[in-house]
Amino acid sequence: MSDRTYEILFIADPNLGEPEVDALAAQVQGFVEKDGGKLQKMEKWGKKRLAYDVRRHREGYYVLLVAEGSGAMVKEVERRIKVTDGIIRYLTVRVDEELRKAERRKAKRALGEEKRRGRGGSQPARDAEVQQ
Amino acid sequence: MSSQGNFGGGERGIGRPGGRPGGGGSGGRGAGGGAGKDGGGKRYFFRRRKVCKFCADKIDYVDYKDIKLISQFVPERGKILPRRMFGTCAGHQRKLTEAVNRARHIALLPYAAD
Repeated sequence: MSDRTYEILFIADPNLGEPEVDALAAQVQGFVEKDGGKLQKMEKWGKKRLAYDVRRHREGYYVLLVAEGSGAMVKEVERRIKVTDGIIRYLTVRVDEELRKAERRKAKRALGEEKRRGRGGSQPARDAEVQQ
Repeated sequence: MSSQGNFGGGERGIGRPGGRPGGGGSGGRGAGGGAGKDGGGKRYFFRRRKVCKFCADKIDYVDYKDIKLISQFVPERGKILPRRMFGTCAGHQRKLTEAVNRARHIALLPYAAD
């Protein structure tokens, strides 16, 4: 099975200190790597206000990880996240397919633009409708 | 253009998707002036935006993390703006909904405000 790209975004308890959040992030990274995943990126957004209360917290530390791995890896990582204290909410999203599609659309559009320029006629910005 | 029955009240006129494309704009404008103050004014405001913002800005992937972009389509109440208000195309509206729901789950956007 080829590897897929996932975004794992989690919210850590705001009562934790900066080093503890770092440790938590490292822990999640450990989960990913244990199951054959590869970490591509880690982003810490810092403490942010939540749009609504989550487990009685109004704020939370957001940490985003982008990882490559299999579906089984995600399943295991999610299970582990669930039992980890200090993480109040998480979200895993598969992104490779969508990003690839977006890339293809962009390429198509660039091609269409070139063609149009070749013809000499400049068209209004309704590029989304260009075919092939 | 002129055959639109626009006397059914201002509110209803907004929702009619058939009135939007093509020359509907100019026809609606005239009728709006005659129909009423409030409804007429609203009507052209929404008529103006015919092109999907995502198509115009060439946004292929609607990211749930980009709250700045998404929140334009989610007024204070927390509801997603319907397509007829903003003119988003079907495909992009679907992607927008997906992104909003993700953002809601992770507490970047509210499910409902107050």
